[in-house]
Amino acid sequence: MLVELNNIFKWVQQGGQRIFLLKDINLKVEEGEFISIMGPSGSGKSTLLNVMGMLDTFDEGEYDFLDEPVHKLKEKHRANLYKQYIGFVFQAYHLIDELTVYENLEMPLLYKKISGSERKSLVADMLDRFNIVGKKDLFPTQLSGGQQQLVGVARALIGKPKLILADEPTGNLNSKQGEDIMKLFQKLNNEGVTIIQVTHSEKNAEYGKRIINLLDGRMV
Amino acid sequence: MYKLYLKIAARYLFKNKLYSFINIFGLAIGVASFVLIILYVNHEQSYDTFEGSEHVQRVYMDYLEGGEYVPGDANAYIVTGPTLKEEFPEILDFVRLRQMNGVALMIGETVFDNNKGSLADPSYFEIFDRTLQKGDISKALNEPYSVILTPVLAKKLFGTEEPIGKTVKILDSESPLFTVTGILNENSRNSHIKNDFLVSFKSFYTWPSFEGDWEFTWNQNMYFTYVKLDPRTDVALLKQKIMDFKVEALPFERHNMEPLEDIHLTSDKPYEAETNGSAKRVGFLSAIALIIIVLSWLNYVNLSTAKSLERAKETGIRKVAGAQRPQLIVQSILESILLNVIAISIGLVIVVLLLPLFSTYIGKELTLQFSNIDTLFPMIGFVLLGALVSGIYPALVLSKYAPATALKGKVRTSKSGIAIRKGLIVGQFLATIILLAGTFIVTKQIRFLQNQPIGVELDQVVALSGQVLNTMPDSLFLNNLKAFKSELGRYPFVKTIAGARTYPGGGYDALNSSAGITFPDGRRDDKRITYNYGVDPTYFELMDMKFVAGRPFRENAQGTSNEVVMNEKFVRFMGISNMEDAVNKTVHFFNQDWVISGVIQDYHHFGLKTDIQPMLLRYESNGDNLLVKFDKTMASTAGLSLAISQIENKWKELFPQSTFTYTFLDQNFEAQYNEDKAFGSAFQIFTLLAILIASMGLFGLTSYTVVQRKKEIGVRKVNGATITQVLALLNKDFVKWVLLAFVMAVPISWYAMGKWLEGFAYQTTMSWWIFALAGITALGIALLTVSWQSFKAAVANPVDALRDE
Repeated sequence: MLVELNNIFKWVQQGGQRIFLLKDINLKVEEGEFISIMGPSGSGKSTLLNVMGMLDTFDEGEYDFLDEPVHKLKEKHRANLYKQYIGFVFQAYHLIDELTVYENLEMPLLYKKISGSERKSLVADMLDRFNIVGKKDLFPTQLSGGQQQLVGVARALIGKPKLILADEPTGNLNSKQGEDIMKLFQKLNNEGVTIIQVTHSEKNAEYGKRIINLLDGRMV
Repeated sequence: MYKLYLKIAARYLFKNKLYSFINIFGLAIGVASFVLIILYVNHEQSYDTFEGSEHVQRVYMDYLEGGEYVPGDANAYIVTGPTLKEEFPEILDFVRLRQMNGVALMIGETVFDNNKGSLADPSYFEIFDRTLQKGDISKALNEPYSVILTPVLAKKLFGTEEPIGKTVKILDSESPLFTVTGILNENSRNSHIKNDFLVSFKSFYTWPSFEGDWEFTWNQNMYFTYVKLDPRTDVALLKQKIMDFKVEALPFERHNMEPLEDIHLTSDKPYEAETNGSAKRVGFLSAIALIIIVLSWLNYVNLSTAKSLERAKETGIRKVAGAQRPQLIVQSILESILLNVIAISIGLVIVVLLLPLFSTYIGKELTLQFSNIDTLFPMIGFVLLGALVSGIYPALVLSKYAPATALKGKVRTSKSGIAIRKGLIVGQFLATIILLAGTFIVTKQIRFLQNQPIGVELDQVVALSGQVLNTMPDSLFLNNLKAFKSELGRYPFVKTIAGARTYPGGGYDALNSSAGITFPDGRRDDKRITYNYGVDPTYFELMDMKFVAGRPFRENAQGTSNEVVMNEKFVRFMGISNMEDAVNKTVHFFNQDWVISGVIQDYHHFGLKTDIQPMLLRYESNGDNLLVKFDKTMASTAGLSLAISQIENKWKELFPQSTFTYTFLDQNFEAQYNEDKAFGSAFQIFTLLAILIASMGLFGLTSYTVVQRKKEIGVRKVNGATITQVLALLNKDFVKWVLLAFVMAVPISWYAMGKWLEGFAYQTTMSWWIFALAGITALGIALLTVSWQSFKAAVANPVDALRDE
């Protein structure tokens, strides 16, 4: 089992009242799955994704990642876990503007203490695979949205993660670019990468093998 | 990895040009100011420090005044050195220096004017750790009529010729021939006592020029005396023993001693070898240096922290990519070090460029020698340490952001963060207001010194102090002098002429002092030193001194009599309250009776740093200084120099073998405040720089706060807020902070500047408006800086601001 969420609750205190962001979430994700999370604005999709990605905490419940109890782990240990197994893709790409494409791809490897020569070959592989070798010395602002997201996905993949978490990856893209990214996800999934994406679009959700609907923090 | 850190930092600096400029330039100015001031402070503290200087002390005299001993004379007696060495085994050796200022040296018929030298014991080399470049150090000052020269003077006298063995006449043309026995090694060391040449002390005993002083007793007190102590000596104990050491011939004096190293900064006794520095001024400037560098660090911390909000996204991405906090902290600190290294380099370049200008400005020869660059290391180390420390807070803030919120761009400065930033701004304003108030007070005091009436009229008065080099009988000299005076009197531009030993602003050098004076009622006072000097009867009219009782001396053919004129202070000192009562009374000092012919209004002889002293003027025609008062109509500079050259020609006619120098008395009197003026200028410059730094920081900071509040401003404007209301909203906080800083600044500057004013006997008032002006200036600068940004935000189209959402 890759991810197992049991009775997950997350809330904020507002005016003496608990506002639930996530309410009793139970979810099991096997390796190799492709899941789409859907729901209206404010239904808790991104929060759920962040909790699974260990970027956000929760208040109650249990979360096992690869049979490790995340809720009991220390911050540092948790960071090591997601550093090793999870890649993120964002709606706004979140590339570092001051770094070139090449350097953006290299960055996660630096934090994994991978040697220089190995970094070089990994980045080269990734540039090759995504067909962006010619763009490696450009800065993010010099790329189109679709190209930026391509770099974003490449960066998420470079650490060879088991799981990719994508928060509305096509949200800032036009339909053609969006379709390209979805096809890329499908291909990656076929190669064995587990993907969980948050999306608003019925059409994009269809790429997933399973669809989860959220409403007011609850799975419906 | 570090390469990447540096690369990203460099790109970041290039991308954010305004931010980088403000940050780097602010720091560079801070560093440059700091280094300049510290160079000055080091210079001031470097006086008389050399191998073994810690064991050298100067012996000086305390005088009994009002029943208490006060420092009375920087010189000691001719027998002080030998006597103390005999008495106290702790004293290993002593050296006496008798100074001769403005000395003419003659090689054949050629005259080299205005040299400074001393008679010196052979122990000079050992005690002052000096060596000879040429000549035998063990013999150079042993024989009578030996002289050693500095390389500069040797070059001036002999050019490229070998100086050793050459002869020179000193003081006048009848002088014995002195043989050059050594050339001192160059040294860049500073000393409170400077000499161009040294004459063997033994010359003194037979040198005709000193015939009047051949009395080797407790009567000759013109000898700077330095003693070298055994390193094991308990200095405090020896000092006490020396103070307790009674000399029968000196009932109203005692010996005292002080460390050689401290003389320049702490000693301000009568008859110092030169006007010394001031520990207080050095302290103040050090404080300013510290304020400025801290100000620029605060700036840096403030700006980088504000800027870190903008970089929250980057932090988020890095964290998501697996970066851990220590790595992010290291990156951030590395960036701040890069920025600081650039700033320090620019700062040092500024120092190199400004050093000559700064040196002239403060009147000190400051150098940045790369040969002893190690003196700079502590400074640079300190600056780098500050850079590191000021890099830590932004690093902590930046690395703290939770990735999820950071990526959403929802990062807001935390409450404590805001408090810290407010604190930093208040701190900056505090420093600014203190420096402003300080500048205003210093400027006001200097203006006060310059404008305060001193009780005499020095305008248009020139002191001619020619030196006759061939000895002529006194009577002949006085005759010629009289002839010269009457010749001068014929010039239409000369209003009055008077001879005088010294004049207001002339310092202590030419004043006579006496302890022990018998008052008209027969009482004898031994508690206080009084000063007197000899003048012509015309002196009072020339100086525009007002008689409150009696009259000037009655002129006679001998040019001297037993008549004296005293100031009011002297009359009151004798216990007489009605000035008229003093006239025609007799006082007794210098072993003779003197008749008081008149009483003049108090005037400032020493400048306003010292209280008015009881002063007595004797009738004694002399040629030491010939004061000439020019007619008002001659006021033009061209007219004056023409007049002076005519006078010089006349002088040379009557005294062919002589030197001729002249001094404008008003300028000379003002020169007493030179050090204070230099201090005031330094204060002004560095205050200006501090304000520049602070306002650059404020400018940078507001540009960020305004960006942060863009949406708020947009919403308010959509809902009907006017530009004025938005401006008020944005500026309100700054007004509050300036007020808070003002409230704290007033007592601090009041106290500090009060301490500074204590150094002046006559002080300007620290009026309330000075502080108000400082506060208002600071507020004005703050509002101007802030409003530039606020205004841009206030007039912006709200639609642009809200579209992002």
